[in-house]
Amino acid sequence: MTLISMKPHEPSLVQFVERLSELDDVTGVTGKLVEIEEDVRTVRIAIEGEGLDLDVVDAEIADLSASIHSIDEVSCGDHVVDDPWISGR
Amino acid sequence: MSLGVRVNGLRQAIRRDDVRSLSRRYFVANGFDGTLTSIGVVVGAYLSGVANGLAVVGIGLGAAVGLGTSGIWSVWEIERAEASLEQAELERSMLTSLDDTKLTRDLRNEQIVYSLAAASGPVIGVAVTLLPFLLEGVLFSMFQAVLVSIGLGIVLLGGVGAYLGAISQQRWFVAAARMGLAGIVVALISIFLPG
Repeated sequence: MTLISMKPHEPSLVQFVERLSELDDVTGVTGKLVEIEEDVRTVRIAIEGEGLDLDVVDAEIADLSASIHSIDEVSCGDHVVDDPWISGR
Repeated sequence: MSLGVRVNGLRQAIRRDDVRSLSRRYFVANGFDGTLTSIGVVVGAYLSGVANGLAVVGIGLGAAVGLGTSGIWSVWEIERAEASLEQAELERSMLTSLDDTKLTRDLRNEQIVYSLAAASGPVIGVAVTLLPFLLEGVLFSMFQAVLVSIGLGIVLLGGVGAYLGAISQQRWFVAAARMGLAGIVVALISIFLPG
């Protein structure tokens, strides 16, 4: 699952990603800074895990004083379906 | 919120450089007030004819209570207003409420650290300068207790000055002398006050 989140400058992206990676069912998280504004930062978060619960992820992001802007990519099922339009292959 | 979570939050707040920096300012500024006030009280009490060391301690503790309460109360209110402003600005940027989030918990922990620093500074300053009066009649006469008290105040101020000089990479002994000088000035003014 890939989502765009808006967060204050604190907590840092490292703390932010660390906290998300500690959630149950999450096996890995990657965060990337997209944009810095005066008070906030927009970050792209890729979360991987089996049985991810969006409500739990949303609550954790909210507790980190951030919000989900959009959910940009989701994969479900037994395997990840390769979409050439998304992967560019 | 459980005590363990609160203590952990306070520990995390104290580890942050910006929180340590502002706490240090509150601690030093209010500790400076407390120490100088105590020197003034001690000299004034002696010159007014207070002949009992414990009476001076009682007067000084009154000053400590006043300054400590002032520190904790004023800084709590100042930081509460600043935290509310910061939260409101962020909420405007993010178009969402940030109540009961990590941000508000962190701001509250910072508020507690700042308030405790602001209160402990003057209490320590007053307590140290009052110590000789606990030994009045045992180790010191009243006059000696006053001199030792002023000396302790100057050493305390000088110590804080030396610390500030060291962390700001200035000559520590010059910073110590500048701070310590304030104790001498207050003692002299108190001596030469009319009456």
